[in-house]
Amino acid sequence: MKPTMEFRLDKKRVVTTLALTAAFNTVIALFLTHLGFGRGLGINFIFSQSIGLCMCAFILAGHYFVKRPSIALHALLLLIAMPAGAAAGAFVGAQIAGIPVSEILRGRPAYFIQMLFIGILFGTMITYFFFSRARLSQTEALLREEQINRLTLEKHTLETRLRLLQAQIEPHFLFNTLSNVLSLLESDPARGKAMLEDLTRYLRSSLSRTRDRMTTLGQEMDLVRAYLDICEVRMEERLHYTIEVPDKLRDMPFPPMLVQPLVENAVKHGLESKIEGGEILIKAEAQDGCYRLVVADTGSGLQGDAISGIGLANVRERLVALYEGKARLILEDNNPSGLKVTMEIPHE
Amino acid sequence: MNEVKAVIADDEAPLRQFLRARLSEVWPELVICGEAKNGKETLDLIERHSPHIAFLDIKMPGLTGMDVAEKIAGSCRIVFVTAFDEYAVEAFEKEAVDYLLKPVSKERLEKTVKRLKEDLASGAALPAEILQRLMVRLSREEGSGRLQYLRVQHGDGVRLIHVDDVIYFKAEDKYTAVITKEGESLVRKPIKELAEELDHEKFWQIHRGAIVNVRFIARMSRSLTGKGVVKLKDRSETLTISNAYMHLFKQM
Repeated sequence: MKPTMEFRLDKKRVVTTLALTAAFNTVIALFLTHLGFGRGLGINFIFSQSIGLCMCAFILAGHYFVKRPSIALHALLLLIAMPAGAAAGAFVGAQIAGIPVSEILRGRPAYFIQMLFIGILFGTMITYFFFSRARLSQTEALLREEQINRLTLEKHTLETRLRLLQAQIEPHFLFNTLSNVLSLLESDPARGKAMLEDLTRYLRSSLSRTRDRMTTLGQEMDLVRAYLDICEVRMEERLHYTIEVPDKLRDMPFPPMLVQPLVENAVKHGLESKIEGGEILIKAEAQDGCYRLVVADTGSGLQGDAISGIGLANVRERLVALYEGKARLILEDNNPSGLKVTMEIPHE
Repeated sequence: MNEVKAVIADDEAPLRQFLRARLSEVWPELVICGEAKNGKETLDLIERHSPHIAFLDIKMPGLTGMDVAEKIAGSCRIVFVTAFDEYAVEAFEKEAVDYLLKPVSKERLEKTVKRLKEDLASGAALPAEILQRLMVRLSREEGSGRLQYLRVQHGDGVRLIHVDDVIYFKAEDKYTAVITKEGESLVRKPIKELAEELDHEKFWQIHRGAIVNVRFIARMSRSLTGKGVVKLKDRSETLTISNAYMHLFKQM
């Protein structure tokens, strides 16, 4: 919750506050008359209204100048506005009731001091009432906002999951692979069989993992390897790959389908469009309190100073959702050509 | 008519062999005068043999099947081949262009061959304007999407910054300064051009020389002189809003 409260001075708030204060003042006047205080209901009503409304106006005026006071500043504001408002109200009341000022300064203690004291006493109670009312409505607003945020997030998660599902079994990839398998079964049955096994491996691991929130880096690498093995059959000499993942990092918990899209991007946008093809390097290391994953290709890279339409939006969004902005996705030109994508994930 | 010649273009060898084998079953008299594995080879092959028919894979390195079709400009019948491409298939259907889906089935190929034989007799080819329409359709699909990354100098290398990470842009002559959490860098593009390419829902131009990421706006206030000022989240600097762009904040 926010440490300070905001006091918006719109017309609606000013009118309700003044009206409620007037109602309180009436009750106070009735109460004091009932106790036998003062010179009858009429005079009590006039003083009660003028003192109460003046205090209220002074506090509202304070809020006009400082909209978001800290707790200390707010206390100071009340400490000044309430006595000042009460004093001003007493004089205004005297004017309206036609009582000379010298009259209210008489008495022991002076009527003026009595009125000030009563004004501040009730004023504190009423201010407390308004304050808790404001806090309540602000808490409600915060709650509502939180609810909206949560719903938006939920919707977002569902959408991402759906897109994830579509992304990993990309139809073009699936049909292309099946065509390859079919043709290899005639010309080179052993290779066709191997490719079918790769595809089975790929489908099995990607389908079973969509449901898991966390898997291991090792499992993700197995998926990537199956994917690249398939691509290697299709692209032959145009694709070479290296995976450098230390054994000790294989058991590291890792969200599914974060590296695979990077690799797919390297194949699709990096190597497939380049006549001579190229290499893909996938590397993982633990360093400076974070895991660093690199997918670098020597493909055609990204052209121009302002680039649009590359398919890593999904990965970025999921990194933000999973690590609340603590993970980074860095894209750089690779030397001498291609794209290097580095993903930095904090230690859990 | 004497012998009918054809070329097959696909970057994947097994797929070329497969199509060749199916063709030899369905159309034994057809002479396959060559196979190509990228766009450039395809062009060379077509120039050398002037075939009657070209089977073109859409996704090929170098030049795509579409590019090849445009370059040979109606000099032979074209059959596009694709694995799975909803957009391409939709475009082909609409324009009544010949296409085959991988894996190529014998039945489908028989149909295509029958049509090709009729077309060859009548001399009809793929008209340039249909091809143009196809290319527009396909490029729209590929090039869709707003500006995403900006190329900036970073240390010794070149880094690509995602626009979502940009807090605001500031005009610097012909260049634009890009301010992110990690610092300031320059992109070689005037702010005017950037403004056109950015998503207007996410980025607001608040001044001739400033575009701000809405995500990073903390609040808007007015200075003593009545000018609008944008306060940014977690930043000390403020940005001035020029009167021409004040309407953006009316809804806030």
